[in-house]
Amino acid sequence: MRRIFLVAQREYVQNVRTKGFWIGIFFFPVLLTAFIVVPQLLERTKSARRYAVVDQSGWLLEAVNQRIAVGDLQLALDAAADRASSPDDAEKLPGPLRAAASDLSALTSADRMALATALLRSGDGADLSPQARTMYDAHGDALRSWWSGVSRDTLRALDVSFSFTRYVQMTAPSGPDAAAAEALNRRVADDDLFAYFVLDGDPVSGVGLSRYVSKNLTDEDLREWFGSLATNEVRERRLEREAIDPGVARWIQTPVRFDVRKVSAEGAEESIGERDMLRQWAPVVFVYLLWISVWSVSQMLMMNTVEEKSSRVIEVLLSSVSPVQLLAGKIVGIAATGLTMVLSWLLAFFLATKYLPGVLGASPDLPLSTIASDPLLLGSFLAYFLLGYLFYAAILVGLGSVCNTVSDAQNMMPAFMLVLIVPLLAMVPIGRDPNGVLAQVLSYIPPFTPFVMMNRAAGPPTMFEYAVTTALLVVSIMIALWAGAKVFRIGVLLTGKPPKLKEILRWIRAPVGMVPVRKEVSR
Amino acid sequence: MDSALLLDGVTKRFGDVVAVDAVSLRVPCGAIYGFLGPNGAGKTTTIRMIMSILYPDAGTIRVLGDGNPEAVKDRLGYLPEEKGLYKKMRVAEILAYFARLKGMATGEAKSRARRLLDDFGLGDWADKKTETLSKGMSQKVQILGTLIHDPELVILDEPFSGLDPVNVELVRNVILDVKREGRTVIFSTHVMEQAEMICDYIFLINKGRKVLDGTLRQVRQSGEQAIAIDYDGDGGVLRRLPGVARVNDAGKTAELFLQDGADPQALLKLLVGQLEIHRFDMREPSLHEVFIRAVGGKAHA
Repeated sequence: MRRIFLVAQREYVQNVRTKGFWIGIFFFPVLLTAFIVVPQLLERTKSARRYAVVDQSGWLLEAVNQRIAVGDLQLALDAAADRASSPDDAEKLPGPLRAAASDLSALTSADRMALATALLRSGDGADLSPQARTMYDAHGDALRSWWSGVSRDTLRALDVSFSFTRYVQMTAPSGPDAAAAEALNRRVADDDLFAYFVLDGDPVSGVGLSRYVSKNLTDEDLREWFGSLATNEVRERRLEREAIDPGVARWIQTPVRFDVRKVSAEGAEESIGERDMLRQWAPVVFVYLLWISVWSVSQMLMMNTVEEKSSRVIEVLLSSVSPVQLLAGKIVGIAATGLTMVLSWLLAFFLATKYLPGVLGASPDLPLSTIASDPLLLGSFLAYFLLGYLFYAAILVGLGSVCNTVSDAQNMMPAFMLVLIVPLLAMVPIGRDPNGVLAQVLSYIPPFTPFVMMNRAAGPPTMFEYAVTTALLVVSIMIALWAGAKVFRIGVLLTGKPPKLKEILRWIRAPVGMVPVRKEVSR
Repeated sequence: MDSALLLDGVTKRFGDVVAVDAVSLRVPCGAIYGFLGPNGAGKTTTIRMIMSILYPDAGTIRVLGDGNPEAVKDRLGYLPEEKGLYKKMRVAEILAYFARLKGMATGEAKSRARRLLDDFGLGDWADKKTETLSKGMSQKVQILGTLIHDPELVILDEPFSGLDPVNVELVRNVILDVKREGRTVIFSTHVMEQAEMICDYIFLINKGRKVLDGTLRQVRQSGEQAIAIDYDGDGGVLRRLPGVARVNDAGKTAELFLQDGADPQALLKLLVGQLEIHRFDMREPSLHEVFIRAVGGKAHA
């Protein structure tokens, strides 16, 4: 035992001192941070898209612009309503919004939308709900005059994604269409404009086509945003022309809606939230993490063994420890190294999801951080890390012992990749159907068990499945360790060309202490 | 306990190849025992069995009086032929590690490693990584690693191979020091001159079988009488001398074996006329001669 401990201690200390270990420790947190931070930064740095509109209908552009303004005003009203609850935030609101904030927060979001519409379109607010109506009477004039004179900087200070922060409308040149189009094309070519629209002369009839011209056909946000506003406007005109009540039209268009619920483990019906959706997919993240860690840590063990052989220190060690003690010490030492790495990753995951959004000024991502501290996920992650590591470590250390150079070992890797790619390929299908046939079958194949069972954590699998697959895995680990130790005993003393698989299998079958034919062993 | 090592009918097979065939041997305590034999004779396999790195297929091995070689590992020091150091470990650290593997307490192992390094002039290297050592220095460190725990039986497999004369001298002194302290040394070599210089006993193995075993003198006397000469001149003359059966000519020195009944004095007279003779003495044959005769190769004429 003492010798096993000494070997393990040396492995741990030496590995922790390597650069590779620290790169491994920081790799994941840096990656994770990048995943959280980069999209936000990209969103912020995305410059506003400049566009122009040639309106052949003569009315559609103006109507769309009014809709844009209504949308922005509603955003401003929503922001005021949101901040009404916190006196500090409310204090910073511009005048009329501040005055109206608490009243606004009493309205529903639909009422605020109706209010915004009523404020900017002609009309007296007659079709508003009673609460919105009171609001309209009390603050309507103040809000309307504030909105008509407000500067963009004031609005930007509200930190709401107003349409003008993303899309900026430029005036289109007037004059004959052909000349205007030519001028606009040049501006698009020069990147002065992101795109321009040419609205059809009679969009209500639906016969002609409007045009959207841009250099960039992958970013469709602008076309979708402007297009849906225009479509809504045109729809309303059509209803008007056919004298159909807009209320009737909305009702006709109402889709069949579903209240999505799930059944808990106890059989009770529960409503679902964002957290449940995340839970469904969180295991996939853990599978990926598990895969990387099992693979890199057992490979670390293999490379270590090869290094011991190629530096010829192994026989010196064998004069003090038996091959099995050496093997056990190495496996334990590298397991400790791997656990240190994995635990630091988990800690980083936990801290990053909990505090990083706060640092960035966004609200903490609560569902994500509860997942990062979910005992079932964390527990099975650690357990499957250890089991998976032991399984692959036993095999790789055996193979490592027959290699004399790192390149010998690398030649063996592709075969392993073929096996290990399976759980990665199955990751998404299993995530979608955690208790499906594929998931169940793969669970019982020991090399895949750790990854697949981790993948299924959202299911979750039954206790019976946990028990049987774990038992199978443990038995396979014992067989693998036994075979690995036998190969290791012979392999460590071997020089020259690595043996063929057939030869290795013969070693495994031979009784302990026997060394089947191998010229290089004798000397 | 008067024998450091007892082998009795030890046999080891690798598949169909019999690497060691029913070898019996007794190594007395406090002796220097040389294991000689050509490449592939079974020296390393025998040594690995003594170190319980390999297990014999038949026969028994008693090391330091114990039938279970695993139990005495801490009292043995072993320097394999294929030897190396962890490249990234510091010199003092790896020595202390070897000592601790042999059961020494951590603190003692550390202080002892530093003391040994100082004694052998490597004090400045104690905190450097082993990959920075020259070949000779790393050989020294390896030998220190073998001796750091004061083993009762020291086994060195080809300790002289690849060493320059200074380090050969160093290893030889280390072996003699161990003997002086009453401990036992076994080493294998195919450099006969080294064996001749320091061995008390010789064990000669060929194709897995014991060929000769005994004190250095006994082994040498088992061969026929020889005449050793030192000379200057054309060595081709030696081969044409009448009455000479065989010649081991090394250019400046030579070993001559006479035909039955030939007169050494007559030979001397003949030689003096043709070569400049610096030495002429009659004695038992060199280990080299015994070796070549025993393993069945022809003395190179």
